[in-house]
Amino acid sequence: MSFDPAPYQVTAAIVQWAITVASFALLAFSICLIAAVLSAGSRGPAIVFGNLFSGLRDLADLSARRLWALAQLTIREAVRRRALLVFVVFAILFMFAGWFITNSNDRPELQTRVYVSFVLTAISWLILPVVLLLSCWGLPEDIKARSLHTVVTKPARRVEVVLGRMIGFILVGTGVLVVMGVVGYIWINRQVPTDVRQAYLICRVPVYGQLSYLDREGDPGSGVNTGDIWDFRSYVEGAKKARGIWKFEGVTPEQVGDKLVLESKFEAFRTHKGNMGTGLLVQYGFYNPTTDLRVKVPAFEIHEFSENVQTIDRKLSQYDEVSKEMKSYDLYDDLVDNGTLTIEVQCLDAGQYLGMARPDLFIRMPDRPFWVGYSKALLGTWLMMALIVVLGVTASCFVKGPVATLLVFTFVLLGNTDFRVLMEQMIGGEFKGGGPFENWYRLIMHLNPQVAIEDGPLKVLMQSVDMLLLNFIWLMHQIIPDFTAFNMSPYVANGFDVTWNTALAPSLMTTLAFAIPCLFIGYFSLKLRELESK
Amino acid sequence: MNRFTSQQRKLVYLSAIVVLLIPIIWLGMPATGESGSGGKLAQLRQQYDLGENTLGEIDPTSATMTFMLLGLRGIASNLLWIQAIEEKETKNWAALRTTVDSIVMLQPHYLEVWRFQGWNLAYNVSAEWDLVSDRYYWVKEGAKFYEKGTERNSRAPELYWEVGRVLGQKIGRSDEWRLFRKYFLDDPDPKFEGRPDPELNPAGKDNYLAAKDVFYEANKAEDNQVQHIMMRALFRQYPARSQLDYADALQRHDLFDEVTQVAWAEDFRDWPQNYGRMEFESPGGTVVLESTEDDIQRLAKKDNVDIDTKRHWTARYQDTTNYRYWRTRALAESEPDTVAGHRELFQGKTLFKEGKLDEAEVVLYSGMEKWQRLLQRYPELTIEDETVEIGLSAILLWQYIHQLKGEPLPETFPLQGLWLAHQNRLPEIQNMFNQEFGIR
Repeated sequence: MSFDPAPYQVTAAIVQWAITVASFALLAFSICLIAAVLSAGSRGPAIVFGNLFSGLRDLADLSARRLWALAQLTIREAVRRRALLVFVVFAILFMFAGWFITNSNDRPELQTRVYVSFVLTAISWLILPVVLLLSCWGLPEDIKARSLHTVVTKPARRVEVVLGRMIGFILVGTGVLVVMGVVGYIWINRQVPTDVRQAYLICRVPVYGQLSYLDREGDPGSGVNTGDIWDFRSYVEGAKKARGIWKFEGVTPEQVGDKLVLESKFEAFRTHKGNMGTGLLVQYGFYNPTTDLRVKVPAFEIHEFSENVQTIDRKLSQYDEVSKEMKSYDLYDDLVDNGTLTIEVQCLDAGQYLGMARPDLFIRMPDRPFWVGYSKALLGTWLMMALIVVLGVTASCFVKGPVATLLVFTFVLLGNTDFRVLMEQMIGGEFKGGGPFENWYRLIMHLNPQVAIEDGPLKVLMQSVDMLLLNFIWLMHQIIPDFTAFNMSPYVANGFDVTWNTALAPSLMTTLAFAIPCLFIGYFSLKLRELESK
Repeated sequence: MNRFTSQQRKLVYLSAIVVLLIPIIWLGMPATGESGSGGKLAQLRQQYDLGENTLGEIDPTSATMTFMLLGLRGIASNLLWIQAIEEKETKNWAALRTTVDSIVMLQPHYLEVWRFQGWNLAYNVSAEWDLVSDRYYWVKEGAKFYEKGTERNSRAPELYWEVGRVLGQKIGRSDEWRLFRKYFLDDPDPKFEGRPDPELNPAGKDNYLAAKDVFYEANKAEDNQVQHIMMRALFRQYPARSQLDYADALQRHDLFDEVTQVAWAEDFRDWPQNYGRMEFESPGGTVVLESTEDDIQRLAKKDNVDIDTKRHWTARYQDTTNYRYWRTRALAESEPDTVAGHRELFQGKTLFKEGKLDEAEVVLYSGMEKWQRLLQRYPELTIEDETVEIGLSAILLWQYIHQLKGEPLPETFPLQGLWLAHQNRLPEIQNMFNQEFGIR
């Protein structure tokens, strides 16, 4: 199974976000200005600027008391609309879940993963439709029932209506999430047998490094593909000069301590039977490139698809070929080079291969309790829920309930793994047979992607249309939020802590990135909307 | 304009409902359990044994899932299949096992699902692991999966046969067979405390004997339902083949004692007395492989065919199933002289490895004599690979000892006829011999 969290570039993300929002604001402002000039003539710019300033003033005059009142109103409405019925579905699901997922009991480490994934996925997928429907139908229903008229005639500002709705729905969702999270936690603890709970319900804290390879001649290169369809891992040949080289930054005694705990998850590939009774032998070597010192530690057998934990003492010893005696080395003083620890990994069995990918070796810091990672994963779900509320309320400010629901649902659908990958493949030109229009033509005409289409007006037309479509898809890819960022269950299911840099930061930034412009869009849409037209 | 009043419209709706209910009740009324009760569909289900309870055990989870999905079962199954393939490719084994279980919940009576995924677990997934104990775990998973399939489809002979194949062939013939066979009696999982996995081997039997029991079950199921794996005459011989494999495995473990002899004797009973007396339908009518002249005449008369035709089809079925060889081999191996021959040839090798050349030469010579007597009694074995291989290997070792001692080879020696007749196989066997004794 792959688990390769990539670090998030916060600064680059903020810069891109600022450029996108600024461009979008400029575009919107220009369109409004043109429309105002066309409809109101010379008074147009004054109207636009007037609305803009009044909007900014409204934002500056936000009242916490009024916001809270509107949020409370939203909560009461949600309860009245039987949003809490979701608990019934949740209860039914958990009552019978054991029937459907009670296998691999002989391998508790595998089964624990399934339980944790199930709980976190079930919570996400149950909360999602509830908040989506509530947030998309709230304002349109108020407008339809004219209850919003009583609110807007009060001193409450429209920005407070939008923000109050968002806060209210988020609070409802938070309540539901907390209850489900607690029940889910208890359920996991009950399902996982007591004797293995300590071992598998954990929250490991990994420090990942960067991986490079040496080929069989000892030259920098890449690993070997042993015929796996899945090219996640590359393989190094045993008993040759081939190595996997990991570089870990920031390795200090204060950070790591006197015992270096290394955990690995390599894969074996045999080209001959070898010794059937034992696993392949793997050896770590610590290397200081500045002093050219290389210290090897005793080899160990690998256990595939499970944890291989090696604890290395700070004090290492090795037989020195020159002085013909045992020499002692200090891990930090002699082998760590300016905070960087280089570890060479090799397979000792001739003719056999060792498969490795970047996350297959990491420094394991002291574990945290399971509930820490579990809570962080729930925080990820909460951020996703908040984003859906923001999108739903915003959409409901300018379209009716069904349309808003469809719009947000489409965002959620397109923002998930498969569709995002599809869009990326289309934009990246990875699809054979041209763009969408050309592929559609090929489908109708029964032409496979390898068949060339004759030059001529038809080809020009197809390419032009495809260019437009692909640009549109590119735009959608930029606008639609990446919902995959919120899925933190792989971390917890694999027994890892949810890290700030690779998981929490991207999800928090994604939610904030949409919340700020959405608030403006929602506010101005509601402000300019004719409430009488239901 | 609507010409009907509201009341009239309601009456029309009611009449339409009643009219539509008639065919629904006629078609779909459930059976009460008595023969011929229920609607047309229930009767047809009864007639063709297609009811859930006639196919095997009813799993309430599976039934609930199928019911809840209404007409979307096909789509859900397809999605799960795609997911299972992806999980296998990305080596997400825990998820794969769960997905496979979900698939069979949706398609509990589709045998190919059980056969495909059982094979996947026992053969493909197990091969992905490096440690033999891990491989064995997945072989067991495959066998357990098939066993679950037999519970859900108790009438299907194919699934019993698949269980037998994993227990017999997979455990007994893989590269890891020595460890797999050991693990079958002494599971590596610490929770079994050195005992076999009770789910798979409750009686603590040898893997081939456990397979034999399952093959008997397969034959029992095949009495009532046609299997679609292979020719019937081949399908029915698996209990006897398992007994033969068991006896052969004892020899592969270098056990040449009374236990081995008894195993072969038991196998010899299986061939002529059980399998040999079964009746198979051929284009020439009923065929019995272990037929006397009287049997041939009786069957020819019964099927109204001439005796030559009956004899032809009997011989043809014997050839197809290799019946005569298995029978002869079982008989030959069950003789004390053969067992003693095996033992002496093995002892000769052991003594040679210990450097006791003189003793090795004597024991080997005696073993070769016994092997020659065996071939004289059963000349049909002189063309069988295994018998030839054992004989030629013994001669090679015996010659090598002479060479090491610097003694000339005698002009005549036991098995000389076999040696001359199979010179074409010599390079291959010489190569194996060199590998075994580390000769360059």
